[in-house]
Amino acid sequence: MPFSEVDFLQALAAGILVGSAYALMCIGLGIIFGSMNVINFAQGDFLMLGMYAAFYLTAGYGVLAFLGPYAGPIAAAFLAGPVVFALGWVLHRFIVSRVTGAGAAQTVGAGAYGQIIVTLGISLILQNGGLILFGSTPVGVRTPLSRQSWEIGDILLNQARVVSFLVAVTLAAGMYLFLSHTRLGKGLRAAADNPQAAIYMGIEVDRAHRLAWSIGVGITAIAGGLVATFQTFQPYVGFDFVIVMYAGVVLGGLGSNFGAFWGGLLIGIVQQMSTLVLPYQLQNTAIFVVFLLIIFLRPQGIFGRLSERA
Amino acid sequence: MRTRAEANRQRWAILGVAAAVLVLSFVLLKSAYYQLVLTQVLLWAVLSLAWNILCGYSGYFSFGHAGFWGLGAYTVALGMMYFDLSPWISIPFCALVGAAAGAIIGYPTFRLRGHYFALAMLAYPLATLYVFQWLGYQELTLPMKREAPLLYMQFEDPRGYVVLALGLLVVALLISLKVENSRFGMSLMAIKQNEPAAEAAGINTWRWKMLALMLSGALAAVAGGLYAVILLVVTPETVFGMLVSAQALILALFGGVGSLWGPVIGAVVLVPLAEGLNAELGDVLPGIQGVVYGVAIIAIILLAPEGVYWRVLDRFSKRAPAAEPPSQMPARATNIAPLPRAPVSTGADLLVLRDIGISFGGLRALDGIDLTLPEGGLYGIIGPNGAGKTTLFNVINGFLASDSGAITFAGEAITGLRPNQVCRRGVGRTFQVVRAFPRMSVLENVIVGAFIRAPTDAVARDMALAALDRVGLVDQAEKIAGGLTTRELRLMELARALVPHPRLMLLDETLAGLGHDDLGGILGVIRQLRAEGITVLIIEHTMHAMVQLVDHFTVLDHGRLIATGRPQDVVRDSRVIEAYLGKKWSDRVAVPAK
Amino acid sequence: MQNSPTRRSVTAGLALGAISLPALRVGTASAQAKSVKIAMIAPLSGPWARQGQLLRQGADMAVEEFNSQGGIKSLGGAKLEIIYADAGDNTEKAKNAAQRLLSDHPDLVGGSGAWLSSFTLAVTEVTERAQLPWLTLSYSDAITNRGFKFVFQTSPTAEWQAAETLPTALKLAEHATGKRPKTIGVIQDNTASPVSFGKHLREGGGLEKVGLKATVDQIFTPPLSDATPLVDKLRSAKPDFLLLLTSAMPDCKLVLEKLDEFKLAKGKMPLVGNGAPFGSPELLNTIGPELLEGMLFSVANWPLKGQEEFIERFKKRTGEPFATQDALCGYGDVAILKEALEAAGAADKLKVAEAIRQMNLTTGPAAQFFPGPIKFDEKGRRQDVPMIFAQWQKGVPLTVFPEDRALAKPFWPSV
Repeated sequence: MPFSEVDFLQALAAGILVGSAYALMCIGLGIIFGSMNVINFAQGDFLMLGMYAAFYLTAGYGVLAFLGPYAGPIAAAFLAGPVVFALGWVLHRFIVSRVTGAGAAQTVGAGAYGQIIVTLGISLILQNGGLILFGSTPVGVRTPLSRQSWEIGDILLNQARVVSFLVAVTLAAGMYLFLSHTRLGKGLRAAADNPQAAIYMGIEVDRAHRLAWSIGVGITAIAGGLVATFQTFQPYVGFDFVIVMYAGVVLGGLGSNFGAFWGGLLIGIVQQMSTLVLPYQLQNTAIFVVFLLIIFLRPQGIFGRLSERA
Repeated sequence: MRTRAEANRQRWAILGVAAAVLVLSFVLLKSAYYQLVLTQVLLWAVLSLAWNILCGYSGYFSFGHAGFWGLGAYTVALGMMYFDLSPWISIPFCALVGAAAGAIIGYPTFRLRGHYFALAMLAYPLATLYVFQWLGYQELTLPMKREAPLLYMQFEDPRGYVVLALGLLVVALLISLKVENSRFGMSLMAIKQNEPAAEAAGINTWRWKMLALMLSGALAAVAGGLYAVILLVVTPETVFGMLVSAQALILALFGGVGSLWGPVIGAVVLVPLAEGLNAELGDVLPGIQGVVYGVAIIAIILLAPEGVYWRVLDRFSKRAPAAEPPSQMPARATNIAPLPRAPVSTGADLLVLRDIGISFGGLRALDGIDLTLPEGGLYGIIGPNGAGKTTLFNVINGFLASDSGAITFAGEAITGLRPNQVCRRGVGRTFQVVRAFPRMSVLENVIVGAFIRAPTDAVARDMALAALDRVGLVDQAEKIAGGLTTRELRLMELARALVPHPRLMLLDETLAGLGHDDLGGILGVIRQLRAEGITVLIIEHTMHAMVQLVDHFTVLDHGRLIATGRPQDVVRDSRVIEAYLGKKWSDRVAVPAK
Repeated sequence: MQNSPTRRSVTAGLALGAISLPALRVGTASAQAKSVKIAMIAPLSGPWARQGQLLRQGADMAVEEFNSQGGIKSLGGAKLEIIYADAGDNTEKAKNAAQRLLSDHPDLVGGSGAWLSSFTLAVTEVTERAQLPWLTLSYSDAITNRGFKFVFQTSPTAEWQAAETLPTALKLAEHATGKRPKTIGVIQDNTASPVSFGKHLREGGGLEKVGLKATVDQIFTPPLSDATPLVDKLRSAKPDFLLLLTSAMPDCKLVLEKLDEFKLAKGKMPLVGNGAPFGSPELLNTIGPELLEGMLFSVANWPLKGQEEFIERFKKRTGEPFATQDALCGYGDVAILKEALEAAGAADKLKVAEAIRQMNLTTGPAAQFFPGPIKFDEKGRRQDVPMIFAQWQKGVPLTVFPEDRALAKPFWPSV
């Protein structure tokens, strides 16, 4: 073995910690993808907005600065969610809903095309608008957590990432309960499974979609706020995560929000652990190899349902 | 499928566009900058057309065409750096590279559908990007050849590149046109609109999809190769990056997906728009160009969700009165020879099922089915909902692979064959819910079914007309299938299944949802089939209509075959009565049967 | 802007009338008869926008100052006019920008840019054919390996930097501690310039020559998601010092913080870097001065002794905490073009190019902005350039080598 047990455990821990942030992003994307069957190319840019929201809430004289360098950033990450949720709501109301959902489904196939352009357009606007508003200088949310660790034997666990892990897991569990146990959540799933039937059942599909979209971008924004505590970013950072998110959601498989969670987690683990045996440069190639292997062996994803062939 | 005259018109349009570009380049545009932008417009149009061949026609979206583009660019750059290979040689070679990449990618990826396919395609260029970085090809420059520039495609005059890119665009347009006007394109469109139906109609969907991806990849790689020559610098991010893949699909979606001119329109509008914005705003307020571009594409797509081409076409065709009557209204299929038909060897076993079983999860959907159909009869399968009737059809025609058992058709084992292979051997089928190709005309719907028997596309057309004639739908031939009534749809589907002269027809609840008046016509067609010697196996769950129609009944319940025999015997069978009406009724033996 | 009307009509025509913005721009150009046009292409949008803006700040300042000092004297006080173009986020845009500048402004006499070496490679393919003298701070050797006659690289090339960095760093270490480090850890990304640096170390025998053994040697693809596995390897191998070759600030931040977390920072493992990101103000802002203290990095250009006044002016003008390579080079490139115009005595690109080739400046504003004389060889590379080392000392990256132009004394961190 070219690596020691400590290396192995350390890489595994890093994978789980990195992966949990991915997992949360993936849940956000998965809700949108799963409920609306929409590919949102702007998801990474909502992540970026979450990062900047957290940054401006804490930096300098930000409203949360009084909470100090420990609690402040975490509270800011949470607050980034509602901020981006609201923006998502507006965007869906005025733009996205016009190319997705029940209305668009009437014109055969057209909706699916329109939404791709629209989300790509939103992505361009957010990135470049971000450049104008936030400037080009990379920034980060400063917290001592990002350079302190808890030690378990020889294994070091970065505190910022552990906090992010805990938040991600809690939120994921919350989302799971919301979707499976509340009326609102069940409505979302019904709208996803069969929009026509949902309409008959009295569920307003467009409203359900708007909620799914807004929750989806909001959750991803919280993930962004968490990532902001240990990484620096500039307005074009979203793209770095978009691929990871889609790989995670496809890996996890449609039909299960928890699938997206595990998919994201798996990507983090593969990414970090591949470095034990492969050149570091091929970290991301390893993700794609696993990705392709899984779609080859289990096209429906790890947790997806088998769709009928005929 | 277009008529010959229309295809010719398109060819002239392509020539016209080419001439216009030449005039623009040689007469109107003076600066090298505009020549460069024009070249890029042409090249991106080629990439988008390449994308359109796969994605526009077959509906399999790819977010990863940068993979082909990048491989082309690197083929040219590495060829020149390490083997002193002139682009004149390496660019045609790119076609091979692109086609090979298409084959390798398609093999695993066509297991996926819809968004999953699209996203999986995204993985290829990105994974390749990292590999090229790892190999150390971060920045390749094509060496400047001062001695023999022409030999290495290095022109002093930028118009040289315009001409090359234009030539490539013309080739791409002609290829697209050829695809559109052949069974290749028809098959792809059928796949896009209803893949299972296409497969059941005998279209080898796998083969056409692979061919489309390979052709698409070849074209994209050639364009990428030329791009390297023009840019002279190749970096993994520039050629394998997400921007390239996005460009390919934005242009096509914007212009009108699945149309010949959509990608060209997209490139002509958007490439200069983006560049113009960069030029005018990029140094004033950096970033604003991206915002304006984003707003612009959103605004236009909200106005024309299907793309500019289709929107304009709709406008145009709505305004123009139907002055032109459906031009080539079939002149009654008088010149069509009677069907060549194997003599009906009544009595020999045509279809034999042995011990067919299949489970879904814990549910035993079919359990030990044995069934033998001698050729030349009209057989019915009945059973309550969920009895496994449609599942049985799906197993026979290859949609589902059974867990156990064997199927023999005309003496040949067909177990495990794909639907199109089963269809080729002479098994036609219709569906419980009609699977039409809704955006194609009735005639085109039926033509798709004719391909497996027709040596040429013209013959396919004649055969389709003959089949429509047989079901009495020939007057509706030019109608778009999406606008038909249920009865017409059923008849059209029957015609599609009939057109390749099957020996066995599987009809899945063909009578369902029809009113009393409509029923007669269809029953007539079915009886006529039998008269012509075609063996018919029909599913119904209402016993009533069946009793009048069929010679022989088979009853399924809970995946088991519970009775088989002449209709009047079967309806008295206590197990059948129990299955339909419950235990209580079966005890009161006497059931009045007609 | 004599070309404006045609430009407007054709652009608008191509875009089907979607653009009518050029109208806004007529009149921004100086109406003065006597002005000399130079160009700068830099990434003003996209992921490298920050660097492009720093370049622009420097160049803007230079143009203003030279013009207020009386313009080009040999041309009767003609003013400099600088035209900017955005190289955006990919080489195609960069190349288009170059072609556009040349078409719109056939009277350009010289230019500078485009920061990222792949952009510069594409841009110079255009400027070379137009025989426009072009200055660049990009490091890549390929830029001046193509036999071009009109490209001038003001930075030492990547290979040369690779050859100079380690011997100098070792000398500093030996001088400060009396001991010569024996082992080294190398962590780098795989963008163009670190790759050619690393190639020199490994395949070019750069490590053997200085008697170093690499106990950790890792190349990663940016952006880094987490530095744990990288730094974990350092923890096990414990090299005498770490050579960090990252080209993006976020990756650098992750590694430095992870070093701290693994108790390897703050002098426990001395750090040597290469490239301007190691001295960026944003690095200071995000991780603070303690972690940076003592970090040495070699760089093509950094504030030197003799520029104190400039640095003050720059800080006041831009609000930046200190000047960096990009701003210096932006200023310096304009200064070189100005000197060349003075020498050429004509607003003619061929004469300007010839003047740059003949140039041998050791004094004056241009020379002040670069270490060593301004003198180019036939490839277009500067000759006799010393490697600059800067070191973070109390929250400021100060030039510590070469001694004659250093602003502080170097130290080798030791525990």
